[in-house]
Amino acid sequence: MKTVEIAVIGGGPAGLSAAINAASLGAKVAIIERDDQLGGQLRKQTHMFFGSKEQYASTRGIDIAVILQEELKKYRNNVEIYTDATVLGIYEDGVLTIEQGGKYMKLKPERIIVATGASEKFLAFPNNDLPGIYGAGAVQTLMNIYGVKPGNNVLMVGAGNIGLIVSYQLMQAGVNVKAIIDAAPKIGGYLVHASKVRRMGIPILTSHSVKYAHGKDSLEKVTIWQLDDQWKPIVGTEQDIEADVMCISVGLSPLAELLWQIGCKMVFVPELGGHVPLRNENMETSIKGIYIAGDVAGIEEASSAMVEGRLAGLCAAKSLGYDTENFEKLRHEYLAQLNSLRSGPVGEKIIKGLSKVTA
Amino acid sequence: MLERTGIPTKAEIESITPSDERRRKGPVAVIECFQKIPCNPCYTSCKFGAIREFKDINERPVLDFDKCTGCGICVVNCPGLAIFIIDETYSDTEALVKIPYEFVPLPYEGIFVTALNREGKPICRAKVVKVQNAKFQDKTPVVSLAVPKEYSMEVRFFNIDDYFSDSTYICRCEELTLGELRELIRMGYRTLDEIKRISRAGMGPCQGRTCRQLIMQELAKATGQKMEEMPMTTFRPPVKAIKLGALTGGVDNE
Ligand SMILES: Cc1cc2nc3c(=O)[nH]c(=O)nc-3n(C[C@H](O)[C@H](O)[C@H](O)COP(=O)(O)OP(=O)(O)OC[C@H]3O[C@@H](n4cnc5c(N)ncnc54)[C@H](O)[C@@H]3O)c2cc1C
Ligand code: SF4
Ligand code: SF4
Repeated sequence: MKTVEIAVIGGGPAGLSAAINAASLGAKVAIIERDDQLGGQLRKQTHMFFGSKEQYASTRGIDIAVILQEELKKYRNNVEIYTDATVLGIYEDGVLTIEQGGKYMKLKPERIIVATGASEKFLAFPNNDLPGIYGAGAVQTLMNIYGVKPGNNVLMVGAGNIGLIVSYQLMQAGVNVKAIIDAAPKIGGYLVHASKVRRMGIPILTSHSVKYAHGKDSLEKVTIWQLDDQWKPIVGTEQDIEADVMCISVGLSPLAELLWQIGCKMVFVPELGGHVPLRNENMETSIKGIYIAGDVAGIEEASSAMVEGRLAGLCAAKSLGYDTENFEKLRHEYLAQLNSLRSGPVGEKIIKGLSKVTA
Repeated sequence: MLERTGIPTKAEIESITPSDERRRKGPVAVIECFQKIPCNPCYTSCKFGAIREFKDINERPVLDFDKCTGCGICVVNCPGLAIFIIDETYSDTEALVKIPYEFVPLPYEGIFVTALNREGKPICRAKVVKVQNAKFQDKTPVVSLAVPKEYSMEVRFFNIDDYFSDSTYICRCEELTLGELRELIRMGYRTLDEIKRISRAGMGPCQGRTCRQLIMQELAKATGQKMEEMPMTTFRPPVKAIKLGALTGGVDNE
């Protein structure tokens, strides 16, 4: 059976950062990515990122993906990259089963860093199976990776960062966004993003939700209605919005199946998007040698995903005996960066969630 | 209000508006970032130390108006596209508003566009004075609009669809643009004939074959008339333009 010192599952910002740090210390690393290219969510983020210099702020997500891959190349002797390769399972003996290009293979790593990211949540409303109703992330993939225009008139459901950013990118692609609605009384995403789409004339309707989708063969119209303080629909406030596309962006949940399989202790933490593994400060789960980083550890941002990845990579390599005199300094620096990113009002929710899962 | 609609309140805008005195001195940044978020490129990109140091990355930017030169570096580095430059010294009556604009097509310098406010509502016409799209801007072009001075703190976006359609030719022979046609309709010209007589549309070499339907469509759109019920122009010979000489030469077989 093939062996490797550290297997990194997922080649998004978290996985890439983990691989860079582990390989830079000398560990032999394999990155396994189900897509045909590395980069994860970054590959479709055409907008400038927030954060600070350390996390490449004001650089576009797509360019950050390139920067990380360039950095990884410096350690190419220590890194094996498997693309088009999905990890199907992790077994008790620590063996990974992988499907790559129709072939099945096994890999036995000494340490595993799970950085599988997240999946989109869906909404229940009548007719939600009509063609034309997508997850917002799916629409972003269609547009920004495959160059396909999803439709002409879009209703965006969800005013979090993803809903706001995908709305902006739809307008950039020449697609009309009719409105952004959100059941919550307040916009969840950054207000600078909200103001940016608002000044283009897109109405943002908070305390509004979907009542009904209409259409014969595909989506034609959506009936929305207003919600009261108790989030109950107010009868009589219905209005119809003609749209051939509805994007659902009501949040992400961690893609944690592999962690369940191997028996990591999991906790349901709404603030982090759903079930997430218990972990210590160094991103190691309840099972020794299995580390996590990025959205799978709790839905957050690419900025924190990269720092978590750096931390997990550093600690996983150290546990194999790869050391650097800077170890403690680096570790503290990453922890400080995470603290600083989470220190504001937006991070309050994350901190609260993390307090429930960090040993 | 801002967190329900995305539109900053008057009080919020006032809190970041440079003084009249400062605005009379020259270009200055206006930073419309009202929420504590983990972000600081405005501060790290400013070479003049005009944005107060962020002790904590979640702080809101605080601008020292007197140190700000209005250079615009922060405009293209702000991931929220929340920074604008206003320059009220542009002329006696007009101010420049510089807006980050990540869309295609980019406007051309010299054209007029419809300027929009923070709600996306049209408030005035504005001339595109400059379009900057240098390499360092990394695909965030900056468009400078000349607007009436009183709108310098109102105009925050613009719509160029109008330009593209307004200057589009409806009658290529007599050079009537869509913008001119709309103006005629607004002035009260309501039939093909009226529009033809006032503008000469349809009197050129093609004799209305290009413009007739287009004018009807525009009339229908603007006035609600049905195309099938619209009175036609009077059709008279000749069906194509001919030289006067052909007429004065007399009729051959008479
Ligand atoms: C529209 C949008 C806008 C965003 N904007 C910003 C922003 O401005 N700033 C910011 O900081 N963050 C932003 N984010 C968030 C950011 O993209 C994510 O937080 C970040 O990508 C998480 O990184 P990750 O590596 O954990 O996950 P991902 O980027 O999702 O990467 C996970 C990778 O794992 C792979 N994978 C999953 N399962 C398997 C498997 N079984 N086998 C092999 N491979 C697998 C996936 O294919 C994927 O490539 C945005 C997200 C979206 C959707
Ligand atoms: S316009 Fe120039 S001087 Fe003023 S804050 Fe921005 S970067 Fe600094
Ligand atoms: S760079 Fe823009 S979004 Fe970020 S803090 Fe500064 S003004 Fe706000």
